[in-house]
Amino acid sequence: MSDGMTDDTTGAADGPHGGTDPVLSLSGVDSGYGEVQVLDDCSVRLDPGEIVCLVGPNGAGKSTVLKTAFGMLTPWTGTVAYHGRDIGGMAPEEIVREGIGYVPQTDNVFGSLTIDENLRMGGVARDGGLEEVIETLYDRFPIIERKRSAKAKTLSGGQRQVLAFARALVMEPDVLLIDEPSAGLAPNTADDVFEDVKAVNDMDTAILMVEQNVTKGLGISDRGYVLDQGTVRFEGTPEELLNDEEVSQLYLGG
Amino acid sequence: MTVLGYMANGLVFSSIIVLGSIGLSLVYSIADFANFAHGDTMTIGAYTALVTFGAVGGLGGAVLGLPFGFFVALVVGIGVAAVVAVATEKLIYEPLDIDSIGLLITSIGIAFIYRALIQIGFGSDFTRFDVQQLRPIESLVPYGVRVTLHDVAIVASAVVLVVGLHVLLQYTDLGRKMRAMADNPDLARVSGIRTKRVKLWTWVIGAGLAGAGGVFLGLFNQLSPRMGFNLLLVIFAAVILGGIGSVYGAMAGGFLIGMITQLTPFFSNVVEALPIGPGWLATLLENLITIEYANAIAFVIMVVVLLVRPNGIAGEGAT
Repeated sequence: MSDGMTDDTTGAADGPHGGTDPVLSLSGVDSGYGEVQVLDDCSVRLDPGEIVCLVGPNGAGKSTVLKTAFGMLTPWTGTVAYHGRDIGGMAPEEIVREGIGYVPQTDNVFGSLTIDENLRMGGVARDGGLEEVIETLYDRFPIIERKRSAKAKTLSGGQRQVLAFARALVMEPDVLLIDEPSAGLAPNTADDVFEDVKAVNDMDTAILMVEQNVTKGLGISDRGYVLDQGTVRFEGTPEELLNDEEVSQLYLGG
Repeated sequence: MTVLGYMANGLVFSSIIVLGSIGLSLVYSIADFANFAHGDTMTIGAYTALVTFGAVGGLGGAVLGLPFGFFVALVVGIGVAAVVAVATEKLIYEPLDIDSIGLLITSIGIAFIYRALIQIGFGSDFTRFDVQQLRPIESLVPYGVRVTLHDVAIVASAVVLVVGLHVLLQYTDLGRKMRAMADNPDLARVSGIRTKRVKLWTWVIGAGLAGAGGVFLGLFNQLSPRMGFNLLLVIFAAVILGGIGSVYGAMAGGFLIGMITQLTPFFSNVVEALPIGPGWLATLLENLITIEYANAIAFVIMVVVLLVRPNGIAGEGAT
C-alpha cells in the first residue's frame, strides 16, 4: 500500500482526485533558507474544502511547505499554484490579497494591540465590509468578543490561537495555512482549537495544516502527507496513514 | 534663578529633545534601524528654515513674537527634512539591503555627508534666525522664570505635534499599521500590510518631527552645522531611557533628559547648600555637578534608571 501512495505524489498538480482542480498545489518544489535546502522535490496539493495535515519528524520541512506556499520563501525550483496560477515568490502581503491566509505557529497575534485592532489589521487588504465581517467573527468566536477592547497579550494561549485564526479569517480566504495550532496548549485547550479548525473549514475554507499531534491532526483531516527530509514519503487518508505499519514505525512513533 | 525658572527652561529644552527622540524611536521600532543621521536631519530642518525665512521674510503679522514667515519656514523645514530622509531611504538604505548593524554604520556616513553639505553651503560659524530677540515675559520674572514668547511658541508647537502624533498612532489606519509593524513585522506582512509603504510614512513622520526639533533648537540656541549631531547622544539617551522602540517611552525619556540637563545648575546649588560630610566629597560633587557636566549627569541618571528598569521606562518595547 505504501508504495502506491509514494508514486501518487508525483502527480500532485495534475488533479488526479476525481477531476477536481486543486485550490493550492506545490509541484516539485525545492526551497530553503539562504543556502540551506529544506524542501527537495516536494509536491503537495489541497483540494477545495479539504483539511490536509502535514506530519513527519522535526526538521522534515513541514513548516517550510507553508512558508513557501505563502511567499515567505521563494521556491528555488518547481511551482506554487493557486487556482492554477503560479504564485511562487509573490510577497506575503500580496498573496493575502489573492485569498490565502496564514496563521504562524508563534507570535501570531499583535500583543500590544487590542483584539479589535488585531482583527482590523487582518482586514487591511479588504475593499470593504470590514465591520460586518468582524462582527460575524465575533459571533462565531464569542470567547474573544468579550475581550474586544483588551490588549491581545492579556489573552490565554487558547484565546490567542482563536484570535490568530480570526485575524486570518477577516480576509475570508479560500485557503488557510495553519502552523501547529496545538503547539504549547494544554490538551483540553488543544481539543477546542481542533474544533475551531473544523469550524473554520465548515466556512468553505480549505485548510493546509502542520501538526505535531499526529493522531488529533489527522483525526480532523481528509488527507495527510508524511514528510521526511524535505520530500513527501507517504500520502493518504488518515486511516491509511495511521494503519500503515511502515508509516507508524518510521514516522509516527510506533 | 529659582527652581521654577530652571524647570521652565527644562520644559523648553525637553520639547526639542522630545521632537528628536520620537522620530529616532519610530524609525528604530518600525524600520529596525538606529539612525545616526537623525541629529543631522534636525540640522537640515533648521538650515532649510533659515533659508526659507530669509527668502519669504516676515509676511506681515506675528504670533507669539514670531513672524508668520517663520511658521512658513518651519513647515518648509519639516517638509525638506522629510523629503531628504525619504530620498536617502529610497536611494541608499533600501537598495543596500543590509542588516540593522550595516544600516547603523551607513547612517553614520550619511550623517557626515549631510553635515559636510551644510558646512559647504553655510560655513561652520554659528548663525541665528533673523527674528527679533525678545525680553522675558514680564509677569513671570518675579517668580524667577525668564522665558520669552519664543519659548512659549516652542513648547506650544511641540505639544501640538506630539498630540497630533498620538491621534495618528491611536485613531488612524496608518497609525495602527505602524504600531502593528513595531509589534511584529512578520505578522504585519502576513496580515497584508504593505510594509514598505508604512516604513516610508514612518520616515516622513520621524524626519519631519526631527526637522521641527531642529528649527526650534536653532531658535532656542543658534544654528551651526554640528547642532544636531551634538544633540544626538542626548536624544539616544532619552530613547533608551524611555524604553527603546516605544514612542511614548521616548516622549517620557525626552522630557526627563531635557529636564535633568536644564536643572543641573539647580542641583549644584542644592549640593553647595547641603552640609555634606567630608570636605573633599563636597568639593568633588560641587565640581562635578555643574552645567559643563549636564549631559554626563543625564547619562548617569539614565544608567541608574536602566539598572532598576533594564527595558526602560515604558518596559517591553511595544509601542
